[in-house]
Amino acid sequence: MSVSNYFENIKDAATSVFEGFTITMSHLFRKPVTIQYPDKTPMPVTDMIPERSRSWLRVEMDICTACLNCEKACPIDCIKIDTEKEEGVGRYMTHFDIDMAKCMYCGLCTEPCPTGSIHFIPEFERATYSLDQMIERFVPEGGKVIPYKPPKKDKPEAEAPAAPEAPESPAETPQN
Amino acid sequence: MMTPMQDLAFAALSGIVIAAGCLIAFSRNLVYSAFALLGAFVGVAGYFVLLGADFVAVIQLLVYIGGIMVLYLFAVLMTSGIGDVTLTNRSIATKASAPLCIVLIILLGKLIYTTEWYVAAEPTEIAPTTAAIGNALLTEYLLPFELASVLLLGTLVGTVALARRGVKVIKKS
Amino acid sequence: MEQLAITIHENYLWGAPLWAVNLIVMFGASAVVLMLFVAPFAGITSFVERRIAARIQDRIGPNRVGPQGILQFLADGIKSLMKEDLIPTDADKPLFILAPYLVFLGMFTTFVAIPFSSKLIVSDLNVGLLFIFATSAITAVGLVMAGWGSGSKWSMLGGMRAAAQIISYEIPTGLAALCVILLAGSLSLQTIIAGQGAYPWQWYLFNNPFNPLAFFILLASLVAEGNRAPFDLPEAESELVSGYNTEYSGMRFLFIFFAEWANLYIIGALVTVLFLGGWQIPVGVSEWAGGVASWFPQVLQFLTFFLKVLVFVFLIIQLRWTLPRVRMDQLMEICWKYLVPVAFVCVMGVALWMIIWPEGLPWMTYLLTAVAGLIVAYYCYRVIWQLRNTKATLEFNPFV
Repeated sequence: MSVSNYFENIKDAATSVFEGFTITMSHLFRKPVTIQYPDKTPMPVTDMIPERSRSWLRVEMDICTACLNCEKACPIDCIKIDTEKEEGVGRYMTHFDIDMAKCMYCGLCTEPCPTGSIHFIPEFERATYSLDQMIERFVPEGGKVIPYKPPKKDKPEAEAPAAPEAPESPAETPQN
Repeated sequence: MMTPMQDLAFAALSGIVIAAGCLIAFSRNLVYSAFALLGAFVGVAGYFVLLGADFVAVIQLLVYIGGIMVLYLFAVLMTSGIGDVTLTNRSIATKASAPLCIVLIILLGKLIYTTEWYVAAEPTEIAPTTAAIGNALLTEYLLPFELASVLLLGTLVGTVALARRGVKVIKKS
Repeated sequence: MEQLAITIHENYLWGAPLWAVNLIVMFGASAVVLMLFVAPFAGITSFVERRIAARIQDRIGPNRVGPQGILQFLADGIKSLMKEDLIPTDADKPLFILAPYLVFLGMFTTFVAIPFSSKLIVSDLNVGLLFIFATSAITAVGLVMAGWGSGSKWSMLGGMRAAAQIISYEIPTGLAALCVILLAGSLSLQTIIAGQGAYPWQWYLFNNPFNPLAFFILLASLVAEGNRAPFDLPEAESELVSGYNTEYSGMRFLFIFFAEWANLYIIGALVTVLFLGGWQIPVGVSEWAGGVASWFPQVLQFLTFFLKVLVFVFLIIQLRWTLPRVRMDQLMEICWKYLVPVAFVCVMGVALWMIIWPEGLPWMTYLLTAVAGLIVAYYCYRVIWQLRNTKATLEFNPFV
């Protein structure tokens, strides 16, 4: 280590510490980025998160075809669909349950869905006091839901009526 | 003449020093012995304060606890198997040291009783001693002082030389 | 204090002997200092440090307990008190229990010699400065004891590092302090302060060109002795979990941290006493307020001293969030290759300076003060430049 190197090191230490101090000092005067969820937010939290953020699963029952693709795709079997057949009525669903306590939000169920019926919505404040309440039941207890029949492929103009890829209108709740 | 408070302090300090000394000598664990040195050093520093030697007391704390004791602890704690019973004071030659100890106690007792202890006629004012010690070291006792520093320098250089050679041997092999 | 003891002896306590009253007053004074000053200071500093750290990282920090979270330290303290007192199976029980008290003792004893104002000091020791350095050695022993007593490899390594670091950095500390001791001709902190004046050019910091260097060396080595970042190797979280306090929990853990935060005050106080004129206020002010001995100048002196200390407490906290932690070899290199030689040069320089100009050079003190002022001004300019350059959204209210 040469003599000039020695003094160079001292100079470097002094200037870099000085520069570091100016940077940290300037950060003291900047606006904190912390959002004090849930009680001190500049606007309602649902407005702050992105429109297409993927937080909670929902099934639009009026366009569900009961194809069971989502049930097969789910890697942890948290989707449970029961179908029955009856003369005159045809095939209908008696259960469409998603156990959100098990769900790991991988999104694999949304991919094979032919109509985009099962999808994520940007709602996330769904904490409950018991695990039972975490099970989303899309078919009401004892109810029957007739599956949606997509129009044939050779009639392109009558294709699936506004398959809600993005939940533009989350007000329509087909839960019951 | 000592005030009751000084008596109390003296008794307390003696208690600390004797207890620490016993722990150093009789502990089954060498680590405890090393840590018990703290009590002995602090107690002796307290004696110096009682004698009005403020500078010596603080230097006792600074050098013995800050320097020597921490180095002892380094050496003790770096030794492997230091917690074993075979490495304690008690396991080392108790029979041979017993007569030595008895002779030492007799000699010291004789010394204590035969010495004519100097007793100050009246309690002296406690005055700062730092400047006086500095003057004495740099005038009257300059030669021993310088000799001691040369000795220490020699030790330092020797240590560095030994350590460096060790490193070089490792590099070659 | 002796007068207080005599007053109490004559008027109260049914004529208890003087020595007993003295004893009570002594323990009482230390309890008062501990309960009314050190404990709140350490607690509030822990809170302030978290808030400053948060703002430096563009966060907000704890602000829920009490107004702006000021009672956070009480909540933490109560939580620590209620916690289970865990002693690991492998721990060396007596040493494990004793160690936090030793750390605490080493820190707290220094308050005996630290002045608060010209009259307010527990005891103005003739060897005050050496006393402060000596008691910090007890802290080192306490840290080694904590490291060994925990019976864990992380604690052990942390304790060893603490001891190595503290005994290494005692040398530059002592040498840098020696620069001031030479000028003051005394080890008593009150005498050292009395040798300086209220205005910056009367401080020992600007007495000669070597003292500013000694000042930075002292500050750096005191930070290292206090195991603060960037020299916090003994508790390096990324490698040693938490170093010597890994196995501690509850009240014992609190004791160790209490000592660390109170140590911040000691660092600031030492630097202030040695280089920044301590509690000195302009003579005109104290005369206008009715002489130095009356209560108002005393309060002013205390506030002056406290303010200077707080500046350094702030700087050390800011330093923690500015620099990354150094490596062990870098730590030793900084000490032995840079701080110690430069400190020796400073001591020799100050000694020569005192021989050549025994009265000091007035124009040099003014020049150095002006240079320091320019550096502070440039610092402010750079801070503003950083803010402008990044086009950041500003928020000057510290109580967000």
